[in-house]
Amino acid sequence: MKVLSAEPKKCTGCKICEQWCTISHYNVMNPKKSRISVTRSHDDLMNYPVACHQCVDAPCIAACPTKISALSRDENTGAIIVDENKCILCKACIRACPYDAMKAFPAAKHVFTCDLCGGDPQCVQHCPQGVLSYEEIAKEVI
Amino acid sequence: MNNIGIAGRLLRVNLSKKTFITEELPLEMFIEYIGGRGLSAYYLNKEVSPFCDPLGEENKLIFFNGPFAGTLVPGNNKINVAFKSPISNTYSYSLAGGHFGPELRYAGYDGIIIEGKSEEPVYLWIDDEKIEIRSAANVWGKDIKATDDLIRQELGADHNIHVACIGPAGENLVKYACITADVYREFGRGGCGTVMGSKGLKAIAVRGSKDVAVADPKGLMELTERAYAAAAQNAKAKIRRLHGTNELVEHINNAGFLATNNFSEGYAEASKIFEGASFRDSVVYTDAACFACPIACSKNCKTESDRFGNVQLEGPEFETLALLGTNCGLTNWEDVLKVSEVCDALGMDSMSAGGCIGLAMECFEKGILTVQDTDGLELNFGNGAAEAKLLEMIAYRQGIGAILAEGPVYAAEKWGVPDLAIHSKGMAFAAYDPRGAKGMALTYATSPKGAHHMVAPVFGGEMGAGTRFEEAGKENMVRGTQLNFAAVDSFGICATCQNGLPRPDQLAAFKLVTGYELTEAKMLFNAERIFNMERMFNVKNGFSRKEDTLPKRFTQETMSSGESKGQKVDLEPMLDAYYAVMGWDNNGIPTLETLAKLGLDK
Repeated sequence: MKVLSAEPKKCTGCKICEQWCTISHYNVMNPKKSRISVTRSHDDLMNYPVACHQCVDAPCIAACPTKISALSRDENTGAIIVDENKCILCKACIRACPYDAMKAFPAAKHVFTCDLCGGDPQCVQHCPQGVLSYEEIAKEVI
Repeated sequence: MNNIGIAGRLLRVNLSKKTFITEELPLEMFIEYIGGRGLSAYYLNKEVSPFCDPLGEENKLIFFNGPFAGTLVPGNNKINVAFKSPISNTYSYSLAGGHFGPELRYAGYDGIIIEGKSEEPVYLWIDDEKIEIRSAANVWGKDIKATDDLIRQELGADHNIHVACIGPAGENLVKYACITADVYREFGRGGCGTVMGSKGLKAIAVRGSKDVAVADPKGLMELTERAYAAAAQNAKAKIRRLHGTNELVEHINNAGFLATNNFSEGYAEASKIFEGASFRDSVVYTDAACFACPIACSKNCKTESDRFGNVQLEGPEFETLALLGTNCGLTNWEDVLKVSEVCDALGMDSMSAGGCIGLAMECFEKGILTVQDTDGLELNFGNGAAEAKLLEMIAYRQGIGAILAEGPVYAAEKWGVPDLAIHSKGMAFAAYDPRGAKGMALTYATSPKGAHHMVAPVFGGEMGAGTRFEEAGKENMVRGTQLNFAAVDSFGICATCQNGLPRPDQLAAFKLVTGYELTEAKMLFNAERIFNMERMFNVKNGFSRKEDTLPKRFTQETMSSGESKGQKVDLEPMLDAYYAVMGWDNNGIPTLETLAKLGLDK
C-alpha cells in the first residue's frame, strides 16, 4: 500500500501543499479547508506538515459512535473516508487522532481529513521542495 | 461578498473613538491602482495631510494587499503599509512578506486603515467578521517573540493566527522602529513601528476562514505550475534558494561597493567569510519560505559561542548582514547573528540601526566620541558585544542610545559632524555604496522615502551591462526600474519571485484572478501615477531638488580601495537627465502637463 509521508527538516512552510489541496477539492483557496496543514515553530526553526497517517488500527474509526459510523477506509488507497451526510460533528474522532489530522470543516457540521485525492495526492505533486512523498511501503513496516 | 479574486472591502479602525467600519473597495480601484502600494498611495494622499505630525493623531497606517493575496500566484505575500514617516518626514511605505497579508485576505479584507490614537495600549483582533480592540496591558513592554506568543495564547493558541506587532523600540518611539509580522517578517523601513507606537497600538492579530475564489481556477493552476518550473530553472532563484539574499555578498564586496565601516570603504577581505557558500555551511539550519513561495530564500540560522551562548533566528538576510554587520566592521557570524537577534527582538529596522551605529563607531574611532559619551562602551568597529548593548540602549533610549534613537541626522548634528551621517532625506542607506553603482545614486537621491534600495535596485543591471561607473544614461534605467517596482509592489508579489514570474505572467495572473485584462501599457501608466503621487505628497510639503541629495562622502570623497577605487558620484547632471525623462521640471517638481497626463491635476 502507498502512504503519504513527509520530511519536516526540508519543509519551508510555504503552504503550497495547503493551496493545492483546497483548489483541487473545492476550486477555491482556503487553508482552513486544507486536509494537510503546515505548522511553523519559531522555537525549533522548523515547519511541520501534518496529514492523516492512515493508521492501520485507526483510532478515529474506532472512536466514531457505532450508530453513526461516518468513517470508513477506502479499499484501494487505504485513506479514511468521511461520510459527510452521516457525520454529526461529535468530534470523538478529532479527540482520538494522535496527529491532529482529523479536523472540523469551517462553518459546517462534519469533519474532514486527507482522502489521498483518490490516489494522486495534489500536495505531493506540487511541493516545490520535495518534502512530501506518496510511496509504496513494505507490508512488514506497516 | 461574492467578489472574484479580491475581497472587495477594507476595514477602517479608529483608535481614538474605538470604532470600526468596513467599506467597499470595487475592482475598479485595483484596475486603477493595481493593489498594495498603489492603493495605499491613493488613500494616504486622499486622507493624510502632508503637513501632519507623523506621530500625531492625524497620521494613519494604511495597509493594503495586492490583488493576488491568498491565491496560488507564486510569491503573493507582500502586504504594503503607507504612512508619513517620522524619520524622513516624507511619504513612506514598507512591505512585509510572510503570512500576515494572505491571512488578512482569508479574513475577507484587502486592507486596513488605522486612524487616531488610543490613550491606553491596545491591540486589534480581526477574526473574520469579528473585530475587537483589546487591552494590550499584558504585552506592552514585551519583545517581538514574546508579544507574538502571548497574543496567540490569549486568542486560543491557534497556529492560524498571524500577528503583526511592535517591540520596545516602537513603544519608545525610536524613529526607525519597524512592525514585525510572524516574528521575523518586518515592515522594516521608514518608522511605521514608531507611528504604530504613537497610536498606542501594540499589535494586529488576524485569522480568516473565507474562501478565495478566482475567475479562472484552471488557467491559474496552469500558470502557477509553469511558474514553479521556471523558478526551479532560474539561475537567480536557484542561488537564492541555496544562499538566500546573502548570495549578493560575494558580488558586491568583490566589486568594492559593500557598506563597510560607515561607508568609509567598499571592500573588506574579512567580509569574504559572509559569502553565500560560507553562510550556508557555517550557520544555516533550515530553509524558510513566505506564503506561496516556491523559492524559499529565507534561512533559519543558529550559532553557539562562549560569548553569546545559543543564538537562533530566521535571518539575517543581506541588508541586515551588511548594515549591522560589515558597516559596523563585524568579521564573524557569531557577532552578526547576535546583533541581528537583538535588533529583531527589539523591533528596530536593522538597516537604519546599522547606519546609526556605524556613524557612532566612526565618531568613536576618530575621537569625536569617547567612553565618557558612550557609557563606557568601546565602540570600535568590529565590537559586536558593544553593538548588541548599544542596540538595547537605543530601543530603551538610555544614554547615548537616546541620541541615536532620533536617527543619523540628529546624532551627527549633535556631535558636530553632519557629513558623517550617511543618509538621504534622513533615511540611512542600504548596503550598496553608490560610488560603485552610479544608478543607485539616483535611486537613493530621488526615492520618495529616502535612501532605500528597493525603490529601484538597478545595481544588478548596471553590473550586467558593464556600466556601473557611468553616470550618463542611468535615468531611463532608474525610471524603468522605479515603475517596475511600483507595479510589483502593488501586485503584492515578492521581488525575488519575479524570477519565475516575469511581467507577462504577472499580467496574465491579473486576468486569471480578477477576470479583467490589464494591459502592460495600463500597468505602466498606473505605476507612473503611483510614483508621481508619492512624489507629490512630498512636493506639497516643500520637498524639491534641494532634498534629492547624497552625503558628501559619495559626492566628494573618492573610494579609497577595492574594485571601485577612485570613484565618486557626480549627482547633479544625473538629476537633470532624470527629471527630464520623468516629466518633472528642473527643480524636481512634476510639471502640470505630467500631472494632467496622469490625472493628478485636480
